[in-house]
Amino acid sequence: MGDFDIGAVTRRGFLASGVGATFAAGAPARAEGRSLQSLTLTAAASRAMLRGPGEPDTGLWTYDGVEPGPLIRLRQGRPARIEVNNGLPEETTVHWHGVRVPNAMDGVPGLTQPPIPPGGRFTYEFTPPDAGTFWYHSHDDGLVQIGRGLVGPLIVEEATAVAVDRDLPWMFGDWRLRADGELAAGFGNMMEDAMAGHVGGLVTLNGRAEAVQPVRAGERVRIRLINGALARMMALRFEGHRPLVVAFDGQPCEPFEPADGRLTLGPAMRIDVVLDMTGTTGRRYRVVDDFYDGLAYVAATLAYSPEVATSPARPREPVVLPPNPLPAPDLASAERRDIVIQGGMMGGGGMMGLGGMGGKATPGLGGGAVWAINGMSMTGDGAAGMAPLMTFKRGRSVVLTLKNRTAWWHPMHLHGHSFRVLTRNGVAVPHRQWQDTVLLAPRDAVECAFVADNPGDWMLHCHVMNHQVSGLMTVLRVA
Amino acid sequence: MMKSIRTAATLAFAAFAPAALAAPTHAILWKNPQCSCCEAYAAYMKAHGFDIALKPTNDLTQISAKAGVPADMEGCHTMFIDGYAFDGLVPADIVRKVLAERPQIAGVTLPGMPTGAPGMPGTKAGPLKIYAFTKDGRPPFVYAVE
Ligand SMILES: [Cu+2]
Repeated sequence: MGDFDIGAVTRRGFLASGVGATFAAGAPARAEGRSLQSLTLTAAASRAMLRGPGEPDTGLWTYDGVEPGPLIRLRQGRPARIEVNNGLPEETTVHWHGVRVPNAMDGVPGLTQPPIPPGGRFTYEFTPPDAGTFWYHSHDDGLVQIGRGLVGPLIVEEATAVAVDRDLPWMFGDWRLRADGELAAGFGNMMEDAMAGHVGGLVTLNGRAEAVQPVRAGERVRIRLINGALARMMALRFEGHRPLVVAFDGQPCEPFEPADGRLTLGPAMRIDVVLDMTGTTGRRYRVVDDFYDGLAYVAATLAYSPEVATSPARPREPVVLPPNPLPAPDLASAERRDIVIQGGMMGGGGMMGLGGMGGKATPGLGGGAVWAINGMSMTGDGAAGMAPLMTFKRGRSVVLTLKNRTAWWHPMHLHGHSFRVLTRNGVAVPHRQWQDTVLLAPRDAVECAFVADNPGDWMLHCHVMNHQVSGLMTVLRVA
Repeated sequence: MMKSIRTAATLAFAAFAPAALAAPTHAILWKNPQCSCCEAYAAYMKAHGFDIALKPTNDLTQISAKAGVPADMEGCHTMFIDGYAFDGLVPADIVRKVLAERPQIAGVTLPGMPTGAPGMPGTKAGPLKIYAFTKDGRPPFVYAVE
């Protein structure tokens, strides 16, 4: 299988040893390990067979030579130590997306740590407070480094095992390849940055296009959907199946079946679903992504084995995940602030159709600004000395209203905290949804509440990487 | 009702157009699936006697690069007619001019999405500069000003 354990961490080769586009069975039962979870990651150039055997391979930048990077499994509440070696020709950092880490471990270059120089290393140490589905990725030169493959799944295991037969991390990637298999040159340009970003034409699941997931009739699986793409939005439908949503962005919700069966994931977002394999033995079922009008495609295929599951049919109690220790915001006393997203093409006025920006780019951060937050464009990936847009007293309850005044979709990510999504366009959001990345459709307004309990300077930015680097980023301070 | 207006527009146009162009001109227009101005532009072109096939794509960058559009002069969509590329919100009369004159170019582009251009709301902030580009290394040059 190519798996090995380092402490409690399982490093999986994922597809590397699979047959065809079929990937290996789910994670093994909870690995036993030492109390200190310690591992090493190396970022370097490598090649991957994104299109499968017999097709041209692709030069990427990866962690430990695999795409996506090795699956990291940590234990909730146990200290972890991850040494990152930089084998790239440029500086890098790693961000542990969604994990509520101390600020100095957040991986934002300049703002929370000096970037790791080529040949250098940095040791990240944190104790994950929450169990759930997270991911890790570069936060330096992010448009290029994420675009070239520096992403990987990160699972924090619940203290008590969840009653499913198998646990299947599904990490999606999106690539724009040339005919010879190499990445197309460039990850952004003026139009792409101001529109939908660098969306590719080849979607991979755990590093392989046209992925096939073997399943058995009668089994119950937990699928951890992770959108690791640079800019692509996804709306997944499991044909012939009824996925039960049990968590968003690693945080358990009240389990529910989406009314239209669609699971919408902007870049960086995760959804955990529990899926009962109620299909017919020997049959295949498509998982269709129809987010973009007229561009639906098959993102994955469930392939039933001819046999039924070895475990006999048993009562299907709903899966309820144990709660995470999230502080409950006090809405009555909360500090309320607006985060207004501006700019982009067709924004409704101004030169080049850049809507209502009228702001200024932060000097010295470089790059052309086409987006802004509250009239201010911070471009790039983070830098030392970025002045916070807002400062919250530590322990204060905060309600942010994110207002999308643009014609484009934005998955907005807050570092260091998870927030409860209260309302969308004035309507209460059901199912107790906590997220670290909330997707805003054009003109949406979303209210999010959290307790500003994690001290430091925290990024708030769009995770369409083209948007982030061209101005859709700001800093919130908790002090 | 719609049909009669459409016919009238086509007839009015035909009266002034060279006979060879009187039939609807077929065009393929590649657009970002989330860009609504391209649909407004397609409606505008239809009203000017073009038969537009709209094709959504997430990869306009490669399509326009292959067509020879300089990377810093892209419009929001790429349209192909009769071997020429028309990038962005190029006015219909300029499209007709290219098709009639048949210059030695790969196509023309109206960079960005200026207000007041066909398909965009608002009024023009200044003249629209339409640039011609080639695939032989010649720098782009102004083909027309509207
Ligand atoms: Cu965005």
